[in-house]
Amino acid sequence: MELRFFQIIVPLIALYFIANLIFNFRKSQITIAEMIIGNIFWVAALIFALFPDHISTKIALVFGIESNVNAIIFFCIGLLFLNQFKMYFLIRKQEKSLTILTRKLALKNYSEEGNS
Amino acid sequence: MIGKSEINIFIPAYNEAATIAQVIQDIRSLGYQKIFVVDDGSTDQTNAQATHAEAEIITHLINRGAGAATQTAIECARQLNLQYILLMDADGQHLPQDIDKLVKRMSKGDCDLVIGSRFLNNVQGMPLSRKWFNHIANWLTNLVCQKHYTDSQSGLRMLNRKAVERLHLKLDEFGFCSEMIYLAEQGNLIIAEVPTETVYTPYSLNKGQNFFKGIQTALSLISKIIFR
Repeated sequence: MELRFFQIIVPLIALYFIANLIFNFRKSQITIAEMIIGNIFWVAALIFALFPDHISTKIALVFGIESNVNAIIFFCIGLLFLNQFKMYFLIRKQEKSLTILTRKLALKNYSEEGNS
Repeated sequence: MIGKSEINIFIPAYNEAATIAQVIQDIRSLGYQKIFVVDDGSTDQTNAQATHAEAEIITHLINRGAGAATQTAIECARQLNLQYILLMDADGQHLPQDIDKLVKRMSKGDCDLVIGSRFLNNVQGMPLSRKWFNHIANWLTNLVCQKHYTDSQSGLRMLNRKAVERLHLKLDEFGFCSEMIYLAEQGNLIIAEVPTETVYTPYSLNKGQNFFKGIQTALSLISKIIFR
């Protein structure tokens, strides 16, 4: 099988991000759900990069599109989705922090007022 | 029988200035004196009205949701080492007389969490959309729970010390009602239900849950169970 340039680069990038996700999970910076969903995306990207013609033909059968240019467009859309996903988890984390802070302040103020 | 002086009533409230004072007054007239209002960042006169009605006030500086306010109530009970707490809505939809039913059931000593169920009696005046919402929410809750519950979304609940210690809620929004039942089962707490009445007024119908909030609630709960 003759490898094209992007078939080397994309799997390497995917492997980097997979390792990064596992590393972040082990450091408890992300949840297991975030790690699994993130890894599903990058494994899919890796497989897609290795077998672009075969997969794009399959996709073409389903959606009526094909060619490697389309594959790149799909990849970019995937990246946007991943970014959206990361933003969602980031906002959720911030919301949770905000709730914890609000609740702690409420109880602190209550106990201080009660003691004064 | 648990004495009225042992019961601590917590009312999570967000923009309930129209009803909060009356709710406090009604509870007090039944002999329950320890009343706490968790003001969830209200922008109206809720805080002032509750203060005027001489309730203890715990104030969230910003609005974080009914679940967050309930978490604060339970955390407060833990810190103050309270033995029994009762949670009720601030919109006046619960009959204060039903508090006695929950206390009586808890006094039997064989349960840790008592839920006031609107569906053990014939429900009157509940709009169809809300009935649908409650049926779906009950179905979803019962799907993930071991036992069957008739009213998973009731805001009228009583917890003993064991429940207060074991229930660490995570959901900030309305999903906390189902979450509490789910966590209670996980924490080997015994749950009982007693029939209660609900007063539906145009005001109370504008508050609380609706079908679309229900879908959001269901998604939160499912997400919580999958990604816990």
